[in-house]
Amino acid sequence: MSLESSESSKDQPLKPQLENFSYDDAIVKKFLIMTLVWGAVALLVGVVIAVQLADWRFNFGLPWITFGRLRPLHTNAAIFAFAGNAIFAGIYYSTQRLLKTRMASDLLSQIHFWGWQAIIVAAALTLPLGYTVGKEYAELELPIKLAITVVWVVFAVNYFKTLLQRRERHIYVAIWFYIATIITVALLHVINSINLPVSFWKSYPVYAGVQDALVQWWYGHNAVAFFLTTPFLGLMYYFLPKAAGLPVYSYRLSIVHFWSLVFIYIWAGPHHLLYSTLPEWAQTLGMIFSVMLWAPSWGGMVNGLLTLRGAWHRVRTEPILKFFVAGLTFYGMATFEGPLLSVKSVSAIAHYTDWIIAHVHGGTLGWNGFLIFAMIYWLVPKLWKTELYSVKLAHVHFWTAFLGTLIYTVSMWTAGITQGLMWRAVDPSGHLVYPDFIETVIKIIPLYFLRAIGGFLYLGSFFLMLYNIVKTIAKAPKTKAPDVVSAYRLTPVALSNLSQLGDRPHRILEGLPAVFSVLTLIAVIVGTVIELIPVFLGNQHVAASSSLKPYTGLELHGRDIYVREGCYVCHSQMIRPILSETMRYGEYSREQESIYDHPFQWGSKRIGPDLARLGGKYPDLWHYRHMLDPREVTPGSLMPAYPWLYRDKTDFRAIPKKLKVMKSLGVPYTEMDLAQAEADALSHAKKIADRLISQGVPATVQNQEIIALIAYLQRLGEDFKKGLIQ
Amino acid sequence: MGSNDHKNLDNEDKQKIDQKTNKENQVLHTYDGIGELDHSLPAWWINGFYLNIIFALGYFFYYIMGDGPSLLKEYQKEKNEYEYAQALKKDSSKGASEEELRAFLKEPSRIQAGLQIFQTRCVVCHGAQGQGGIGPNLTDDYWIHGGKMTEILAVVVNGVPEKGMAPWGGILKLDEIYSVVTFIKSLRGTHPPNPKEPQGLLVKE
Repeated sequence: MSLESSESSKDQPLKPQLENFSYDDAIVKKFLIMTLVWGAVALLVGVVIAVQLADWRFNFGLPWITFGRLRPLHTNAAIFAFAGNAIFAGIYYSTQRLLKTRMASDLLSQIHFWGWQAIIVAAALTLPLGYTVGKEYAELELPIKLAITVVWVVFAVNYFKTLLQRRERHIYVAIWFYIATIITVALLHVINSINLPVSFWKSYPVYAGVQDALVQWWYGHNAVAFFLTTPFLGLMYYFLPKAAGLPVYSYRLSIVHFWSLVFIYIWAGPHHLLYSTLPEWAQTLGMIFSVMLWAPSWGGMVNGLLTLRGAWHRVRTEPILKFFVAGLTFYGMATFEGPLLSVKSVSAIAHYTDWIIAHVHGGTLGWNGFLIFAMIYWLVPKLWKTELYSVKLAHVHFWTAFLGTLIYTVSMWTAGITQGLMWRAVDPSGHLVYPDFIETVIKIIPLYFLRAIGGFLYLGSFFLMLYNIVKTIAKAPKTKAPDVVSAYRLTPVALSNLSQLGDRPHRILEGLPAVFSVLTLIAVIVGTVIELIPVFLGNQHVAASSSLKPYTGLELHGRDIYVREGCYVCHSQMIRPILSETMRYGEYSREQESIYDHPFQWGSKRIGPDLARLGGKYPDLWHYRHMLDPREVTPGSLMPAYPWLYRDKTDFRAIPKKLKVMKSLGVPYTEMDLAQAEADALSHAKKIADRLISQGVPATVQNQEIIALIAYLQRLGEDFKKGLIQ
Repeated sequence: MGSNDHKNLDNEDKQKIDQKTNKENQVLHTYDGIGELDHSLPAWWINGFYLNIIFALGYFFYYIMGDGPSLLKEYQKEKNEYEYAQALKKDSSKGASEEELRAFLKEPSRIQAGLQIFQTRCVVCHGAQGQGGIGPNLTDDYWIHGGKMTEILAVVVNGVPEKGMAPWGGILKLDEIYSVVTFIKSLRGTHPPNPKEPQGLLVKE
């Protein structure tokens, strides 16, 4: 649409014609500025929640900023807002130049930009309000999920249209990674977002239990793969050689590591579910594909670092190269650590601990962050046609961020391994050495302080960059006219004459982006189908033959409160078949125990203890006091207090609809259950309330939300204890 | 670039390598000014990849297709061994008798040890001075599950899960439980402020 070709080309389509056009850099600037804005927000929220873990008082007793609600805000902001906007800025900048064309549609680019920002704002409002699906990195409720789908499709349409009108015959490796990103993120997001609404801001996933867990971690792991890895490798392949002014080391390595990475990554999700009730063959596939992923991941690091051969001395003086080298090294560390953590016996110690937090932040702070910083320092002077305000400040930024990242990862490694070993310590008499979970928490709180310091340094260094960039833009000349570029229009190549595209098969493929995209789609579908389908088919009988009673209305409502408050962020409900774990929590979890859980609530981190067999362990009064002031019953606890559960009233009228939606998802409620849902919930609440009142609790308790939450918590693990599950 | 890395090699090798590096240092393609070289895959990298694939196949065939033990089997084995060892221990140390427990009441150090444990484990439900709260009053003469020291011992060891009393047998060592039972018995008749109302049956001594 923005072609400014001087002559009409319709008459002589086969003759190459020089066409003049300009790149849409305004959209790049927009995404780049929002990267800076959301980066500050994401990091700030990260520091806040780090401080909350070090000292519970920083939850301030306010629902909107409790850890359980803020942590999803932090992860979503960091991944989708900060990294997301950076990816789009880099993709829009590099794609236009690599394809020698303006984006196909400025309008679609604008819709993409404004749509994405609107989604982020919606996320930043709804997550603190407690509107959440309760699945990690997929917390956003159904209306926002739909908006994401629409905006992503807009992006994809614009992108593939741009590919079609390119003026460069072959697509460069960066474009391969962008294509893989666009296709796979769409697939992941759509399949993991199939929910049934209860109300506008509340929905239940159609999957339950083990199936939901598998879909979720297939999604979750590949959000890391296709949102935080492949697009960043693409950016690296463009901005690193650009910044260094050196050719990319190996085309062959690009080919081998691209295809192996894309094919293998998608299988690795089940390594998040080792020792869970996921069938063991699927767990094993998750583990061994993670092990095989090490080399393909390192292929990107090797190709990047070797591109800098002969330029190492420049790393001393150029902050951009510093960020690239450190970023690639952190990438190498994280992608070595990943396969290691996926080995079952390592996972047995590391899973649920802060080791995973260290691993994730080595990747995000070290790899994603540093790559974004390198890109910004290179792009801003180019886009605004000026010099960086202060190179010295950029060096200070680098060293502060580097130190912050090191303090962060080292403190969390130490915390994770310490706690992991404490959980499994058994003395010679056969007792747990630390039977009280809280002992293992108190031990690592100093490390939580240290982590907060690391995060604070990183945040501070980010503000140095912000200042530097603002100053740079302020001194930029105010010229508005975009540069005019010219390139020859491509002449079509007949299918019968593909050898014109190149002498090697892959070279020919690079001239056929549509075929390339289809092959990429196939590469990611193979692993998806082989892992997901059998678990879905093989599992039908579990629900069908089950004599288990679903949650009562009040329990289900309490479960929604549990999800709303983000309890799953700190508490697992999955006891692994490991002796020290069953000694602590009781019998290991069974597949049937979560068949009615839409969504599953197995969790991924134990900041507090596992809750799978919590029911009946403590009296109702214990829970009543615990949620009001956790330190009254567990001295030293770092759990926030939940005073609003004692103010807000249970919405009993909402319960029948919840049961109805669950029934349509296959949960065996009878017509009678539905008809009496509200009355049943009221009498259930009264029973619990009467017990509490007889023990001295104020008589107003009956309609408070805490009653519903207690009902849910007292149900956990009850079926197993009653012998309904073997 | 690159060729001066090989100064120390003898001439023939140097020539061969120079030919190779020259070829590898030719720019194959260019995109927006970015050149692409065509170096061969680093040997350590590709061989490492092959090794991982071989490991992965071996692992899958042994543990999934073959005789490798499943995680649950390994767990069961570990658990059986543990239970066997615990059973052996239990047999050699029978619980203390009422007389032996009563004798502990004369040992101030044991009462002191019991107090320590009581303060960390029991005060949440039974109150700082045993006056009761979530759980019953331990200072009066009324007992729900019997007031003999062996009976208190049984409650502490096994718990009363349906009422929320935790079983401490798996958490505290037997000797620690003796101490805490001794301390509890020593509370009798202390009349702390704000006692919980009596529960259970009057036990006369």
